[in-house]
Amino acid sequence: MSAARFRDVSIANFLKIREQHSRLLAAALTAAIVAYIGWKIVQSPEQALQFAFNGLAVGAVYALLAMGFTFVYSTVWFFDLYYGAAAAIGAYGVFYLRSHDVLGGQYAVNSGPVNVLFAVITAGVVAWALHVLLYRRFHTRAQPRTLLVIGGFLAAAVGVYTALVLANPANLHVLLSPLIAVLVAGAATWGLHHGYRRVVAQATRGPLAAIMAVAVAVGVLVATLVANTPSLGLYLSWGVACLLSGTVSLALYRGLYVTMRERANSPLIMLVASLGILLAITAFITIVFRAAPRPLPDTFGSEPWTIGGANIKGFNVFAIGLALAGFGVLLFMVKKTAFGKAVRAIGDDEEVAKVVGINTTVVIAIVFFIGAVYAALAGLVSGHDTAIQPRMGLLLLLKGWIASVVGGIGSLYGAIVGGFALGMLEQFGIWDLAGEWRDVISFIVLIVFLSFWPQGLIPRK
Amino acid sequence: MSIAAGPIRGLQEVARDPRSWWGRSKGNVELWANLVVLGWALVFMLWRGGGFAITVGSVFAIWAVLAVSLNLVVGYTGLLSVGHIGFFGIGAYAMAVLTSSASYEQLRTEAIPTFGWPFFAALPISVVLAGLVALVVGIAFNRFRDDIYVLVSFGFAVIAFTTFLSWRNLTRGAFGIHQVARPAIGPLVFDGELEFLALLLVFLGLVVLISWLIVTSSFGRVLTAIREDEEAIEVFGYRTTHYKLAIWVISAMMAGLAGALLASWSTFIDPNSFVLLESVLLVSIVILGGLASIWGSLLGALAFVMLEEGMRFVPFLPSEFIGQIRQVILGILLVLLMLFRPQGLVGRFKL
Repeated sequence: MSAARFRDVSIANFLKIREQHSRLLAAALTAAIVAYIGWKIVQSPEQALQFAFNGLAVGAVYALLAMGFTFVYSTVWFFDLYYGAAAAIGAYGVFYLRSHDVLGGQYAVNSGPVNVLFAVITAGVVAWALHVLLYRRFHTRAQPRTLLVIGGFLAAAVGVYTALVLANPANLHVLLSPLIAVLVAGAATWGLHHGYRRVVAQATRGPLAAIMAVAVAVGVLVATLVANTPSLGLYLSWGVACLLSGTVSLALYRGLYVTMRERANSPLIMLVASLGILLAITAFITIVFRAAPRPLPDTFGSEPWTIGGANIKGFNVFAIGLALAGFGVLLFMVKKTAFGKAVRAIGDDEEVAKVVGINTTVVIAIVFFIGAVYAALAGLVSGHDTAIQPRMGLLLLLKGWIASVVGGIGSLYGAIVGGFALGMLEQFGIWDLAGEWRDVISFIVLIVFLSFWPQGLIPRK
Repeated sequence: MSIAAGPIRGLQEVARDPRSWWGRSKGNVELWANLVVLGWALVFMLWRGGGFAITVGSVFAIWAVLAVSLNLVVGYTGLLSVGHIGFFGIGAYAMAVLTSSASYEQLRTEAIPTFGWPFFAALPISVVLAGLVALVVGIAFNRFRDDIYVLVSFGFAVIAFTTFLSWRNLTRGAFGIHQVARPAIGPLVFDGELEFLALLLVFLGLVVLISWLIVTSSFGRVLTAIREDEEAIEVFGYRTTHYKLAIWVISAMMAGLAGALLASWSTFIDPNSFVLLESVLLVSIVILGGLASIWGSLLGALAFVMLEEGMRFVPFLPSEFIGQIRQVILGILLVLLMLFRPQGLVGRFKL
């Protein structure tokens, strides 16, 4: 009798039910759920449509969470529980930057130590990024000391800029316009240059100076527009919150995970350590913002649209679109770019990836950054949809984790399908119950899935 | 392994060679952990006096029962359960519902049935109830391992908390249950704090004794083998499912006992004592104290309680932040432990 036979100690096995009977049980369960939902739909189609809309709206948040979570997990193969804190940082970042706008500013928070803390973190991350990305390219051309001074100066400048932005959230559109100018000019240069090389003169250098002049002009134009539009503040704060969350995750990765993975690459140790980080960050958020729930400022689309007798908020439609767009971006990145190839190689075997010349530290750092940005997006979307509270990090983390397991852990398609499926099941589950049972329903879904379909809906190939 | 192995080994070393004591023991983390935590507790007790010692001792005893019971599962069997607070809550609610004598009509909130049982009649019921729930949950959880086990045990804690909060006909939801009975044996009523502390310590001793008997028996050795390599011990013909289920139920019953004691000690419970974060704190106590070491769990619980009490006397620290700062410290401690000492302060097993 092989060990594999023993290993499958499921409910079914424990109750002495054979494999085919277990499948039968699963099929019966599925049929029962489908019949229940079908009966509900027949009973009151309008209400069913309402629950379906709610399910999609919640599912968008879960899908965003699950995508980032599974992206990180399928690269490093441990469950990074900081992910929940990343979602909370995203939501509270928006609150921090817009708190003067919420309910007449009665909960306005702006503390110097927090600004300084984020300035230091950003400066450190920028210094590390400069070192990793540029040092090798320049160290033959200049003295190490010169590079150190220049790099340190740049990092400190970025840190001061961060503190400045965080300290003046009311003037976000003005303060961020230089950054936007630089980003737009850079993107325009890259795009025009590549477009020129592709279309006009293949494989030769384009007229770089002219392109750069055009790009800078575009950048300045966009920045001027932004600087004169105070109403953009909210959307800029979304971007800043995502960047902050990503920066913290980079700092954690370089400051902690790299060392830990070298010392003991055990998934449980990493999990417990990241649990400690989640605890600490949750408590820190509670200290700064207090434990009571807070609303995020009004955004577009808060008045409901009526479709077929059911209501859905415009913002929820935006959230669903955001989830689909996020899925598209992630899929493109993983399947079509060199970066995605490197990510998949690291996910398959990190040592081999290192041997064939992939800079695993940098690639994993970018993966963590992207994961944290997805978490922050999910956090702020759910914050705009309902409210924010420090505990939301842990709850969102668990939902993302469940959705990725239900969808099939490590599979991107599974993540988006699992996210929406979990949202739908949750909403249809609370039809006859009160809304507070939704967490229970999602965990019951999880346990049923793990017992009967441990691979998930769409398993990783 | 004896429960007092840590301090006794330390004292033996001092007795053996007093002169080179420093040189020999400056790297001995176990010894220093014991000395610092016990010394800190002692100094505090002497400084604050008897009433303080009684309160802290009671809180410590409840946390210690919980930590020892969880260590049986996490440390000895290697199942990282984050949901133990659920059993704690089941025990507490069983005790509270059965023994509460409050009349809710005058409170103008939802009424629940009043049973008014005595403490010692409700105690076995709450312990057995926790065990029964653990049996059902354990059967469902038995196939999971490692990180998936963490996730589903999170799930159990969430389900338990939601039940406490939302089953209002039984638990009164967020209002909580008042006037839980204090224990009484005939004319002897444990309504003073000192008497109750004595009772708590008796139960703590009982739990420690049972745990010690378990981990030193052949049953305990099978558990350790499951932790080290489950498939290997299966090949030898042990039904690991049954062993894991048994220790899970025993541990849950101990947690239920702790919950029943808490309900009776504080005479009021509400769902806030059983939130998910408390469960995570409990796991961090067990890991901090030391995995697979009963003494470590006692030490961890003592350190945890003293950390909170100690912070009350830090100047310029607003009292509403104490719980949060304790949580920050515990989180950072968890990270540091995972970096430098994955077995905890006096533990025997590296995660």
